[in-house]
Amino acid sequence: MGFFDDKQDWLAEVFAQYPEDRRRSALMPLLRRVQQEEGYVSFERMKEIAEIVGTTATEVAGVMSFYSYYQGLPTGKYHIQVCRTLSCKLAGSDELWKTLVERLGILPGEVSEDGRFSLQAVECLGSCHTGPVIQINDEHYIERVTKERLQALLDGLSEDKPLEEVRRTLPGEEETGKHVIELVKGGES
Amino acid sequence: MPKVKVNDRTVEVPPGTSAMDAIFHAGYDVPLFCAERHLSPTGSCRMCLVKAGSPRKGPDGEWIKDESGEIKIFWFPKLMASCTLAVSEGMVIDTLSDEVRHAQSGMVELTLANHPLDCPTCDKGGACDLQDRAYEYGLEQKFYTGPTGEPVYTRYEFSKRHVDKHHPLSEFIILDRERCIHCKRCVRYFEEIPGDQVLDFIERAVHTFIGTADEGLPSNFSGNITDICPVGALLDRVARFRGRNWEFEQTPSVSTEDASGQYVWIDARSGRIERIRARENPELNDIWISDAARFGHEWVDQDRVTTPLVRKGGSLEPASWEEALAAMQKGLEGVPQERVGLLLPGDATIEEGMAAAELAKTLGSGYLDFEGRSAVPASNFPAATFADLLEADYILTIGDPTEELPLSHVWIYKRLRGVKTPPRLNHGTPIADLSIREHTPPDRSLLGAFAPYPTRVMEWAEAKGVFEPGQASALLGAIDALLAGRDAPRVAGVDAGALKQAAQRWRKAKKRVLLLGAEVLNDVEAAQLAEKLAKSQGALVLAMTPAANARGLEAMGVWPSGDKMPRALLAAADNPPQLLLDLAEFKVFHAARLSEVVRQHADVVLPAKTSYEKLGTLLNVENRLLELRPAHVEAGEAEGLIQVIYLFAQALGVKSSLRLVRQARARFTERYKINLDKLEEFGQVWRPRVSLSPRPRQGEGGNLYLRPSMWKSRHLLGETVQRALGTLTLAAHPQTALAEGLDVGATITLQTPWGTQAARLEFDDELPKGWFFLPALGSNPGARVPFKALVPEGGEAR
Repeated sequence: MGFFDDKQDWLAEVFAQYPEDRRRSALMPLLRRVQQEEGYVSFERMKEIAEIVGTTATEVAGVMSFYSYYQGLPTGKYHIQVCRTLSCKLAGSDELWKTLVERLGILPGEVSEDGRFSLQAVECLGSCHTGPVIQINDEHYIERVTKERLQALLDGLSEDKPLEEVRRTLPGEEETGKHVIELVKGGES
Repeated sequence: MPKVKVNDRTVEVPPGTSAMDAIFHAGYDVPLFCAERHLSPTGSCRMCLVKAGSPRKGPDGEWIKDESGEIKIFWFPKLMASCTLAVSEGMVIDTLSDEVRHAQSGMVELTLANHPLDCPTCDKGGACDLQDRAYEYGLEQKFYTGPTGEPVYTRYEFSKRHVDKHHPLSEFIILDRERCIHCKRCVRYFEEIPGDQVLDFIERAVHTFIGTADEGLPSNFSGNITDICPVGALLDRVARFRGRNWEFEQTPSVSTEDASGQYVWIDARSGRIERIRARENPELNDIWISDAARFGHEWVDQDRVTTPLVRKGGSLEPASWEEALAAMQKGLEGVPQERVGLLLPGDATIEEGMAAAELAKTLGSGYLDFEGRSAVPASNFPAATFADLLEADYILTIGDPTEELPLSHVWIYKRLRGVKTPPRLNHGTPIADLSIREHTPPDRSLLGAFAPYPTRVMEWAEAKGVFEPGQASALLGAIDALLAGRDAPRVAGVDAGALKQAAQRWRKAKKRVLLLGAEVLNDVEAAQLAEKLAKSQGALVLAMTPAANARGLEAMGVWPSGDKMPRALLAAADNPPQLLLDLAEFKVFHAARLSEVVRQHADVVLPAKTSYEKLGTLLNVENRLLELRPAHVEAGEAEGLIQVIYLFAQALGVKSSLRLVRQARARFTERYKINLDKLEEFGQVWRPRVSLSPRPRQGEGGNLYLRPSMWKSRHLLGETVQRALGTLTLAAHPQTALAEGLDVGATITLQTPWGTQAARLEFDDELPKGWFFLPALGSNPGARVPFKALVPEGGEAR
């Protein structure tokens, strides 16, 4: 059965947003729906999307591979994305990455044995002042990650506590986790 | 028209022209990698950077002046990619200053940063845009110097990126991902020209590579990407490693693979054809040719007949021309002259047709025919040109343009995308035509497509339908009735609404083009209805015959008359009808290749030149005269058909007045006032008056439909084509096949009146029930023949 077979109403809603002869424009929302529900976009799904929007699997693959958001291989329940761009790197993201790989025993493209974790190194997440930063699924960032905070995070998730609760109760979250730059009038910080 | 100043020259160009074309129009040069004629400009390589500026008008509507009273030029703050910059009135472009040259040489350096330096083993070497530009910009001391002032080749010290170096995209094309400079020409080509987006950029940034998620490159036009690749990343696997660019003898000629007469370059080396490339003809094939025209030449040096052969004691033995003449004289003795038949190949030239017609007339013989002849003469229809397709308000196809006349597929898609005929500038076709856009959806309302099986162009058609083989006349009859305002009879398999829609669009259109395939041309009733439809409505027709020179031969009078089968035969065709071979007692073959048919039936074989080796003239599907020119191919004692006809006449004891192409051309000039030696550069339209009556083909009837195919049986002799095509596909509706006890995937040996053929059975539930479809691979597309299926193992024979 196709992924979109029982989502015809939703499809109609999406296509209504674009001109009739530009069905290809709906490529991204369709990809996103599959990614969110299945954790990755399989080749079968690419072909299905291509068929629905009237293009080729090649173009779907081209769009998909451009964005690091879309996964071509299955991911775990918690897909951990580690920023490795300059600021985070200076703040120790290499060490963070190494710790994660060792602790979870997986490499990018793999899923941990319990099905919980998968790993990905990504480019700048846009929170350079609170590096190193990781993102789990589509949720809030985990900022200023230290060994201690990482340990607590993984422990919490291994016990299947809700992600938001785990994030809020990380050690030192009150002091370091919510660093806000207050803008004064005139744009000077 | 805007006036543009390029360096020191001022030129006028049409509005909407790109700065790049203004520069070339003015006679200056600008380096480029990604812009390409007929493709949308994207500005992705940034190689064509120039300094540009325009004057501005003040609130008073006057040009703003500077302090000295001159019109002030407002320069763009940065250098601009000239391919995506449209010209404006008074624009000033600078391509020569140090600032521009420095930026351009920087781009060359950047492009080379990851490009391997394997030019000595790269097939593109010597004809490579990047190599030329590297030579031009590299080592310019002014820009590149080391710490002590010595010139350096590059300032980059990183190691180069290493990726997949030999990645086959299909059996015909191989991709070297290290050499790729990401210009996107091939990606744009597939999307914009044949209309299959089968290539795309995968990943991004430095990881980007060209790839596909579909199976192979399905288009009939995949080879063109090897021509337009500006580096050696995409290479033709037939020609790979067969010679360096400067070693080839390049002959401008015309392809005889189909009736369009695509312009080609034949690259030969040491007497062997190594490569065929597209040659630009803006009125015919732009810069594109079909895969059959490009890759289908491998058979030329296989099993070549290089001397005359005479049958002695059961086997064909090499002989001298004198011995062959003597054998012919002996064999033809006692055969009445009017019972001597002449069978020409479909790509025989006008000159050869003229000689054959003269001989047939002298002999009083009625059997004068050519291979791939349709039942109704193609000349009966008012011919459209491909350019007419761009003007058409409605295009109706009955047949399969993609296979029968591949070039028309490209022109139809151009029309549906709204592409206009580009202006001709001093340097020819605009290189960066800003009116062409990526991803323009085809306008489906302009096309109606009907055929006995689902075709590629149906995907772009609003009105479409699959009718049963043999029902073309019913379909045309229904359209005729609808146009006359009557109720149309039902056509099995075709939606009545679609027919009504097609008729309505047809009626409303001012300019109409009708494309007719073998299905119509071989059905006398259908063809007459089509002729009536075209003539009564002032529509133009592209009659897609399999013979390359059908119109030229018809114009020369090569057409059968009378019903007597010949007792002696001069056959210059690949696959003469079996009946003919069985009835003729004495058979002379003019053949380039010792095929099974020749081996079995010939009494005398005379070595023939292939169409790559001939001088001659063709009249293509648009009634355009095109010149074939001989490439340098080693072919022993091979002779042209004119010389052979002369010799054959001599053996019959009659005199032929034409012995040389030159003489035939002189005769042609005398008769039609056209000098074939001096045709216009892109061919010349000639509309001869021809009146011939229809001649139905023999042996119709049966439920195997020979589907037109671009590939011909001779192409299968080539290793690469054979690998690409694999086993032929016999397609049928699942119910039909299962009723015959044939299951999907079974390899079946088919016995047909045209010979034995192995094929793999595939199901296709869109096909009409009760029929089997097999690629025709030759001169009998559209034929309906009986067959016997033998299943070797694991299945039932019927």
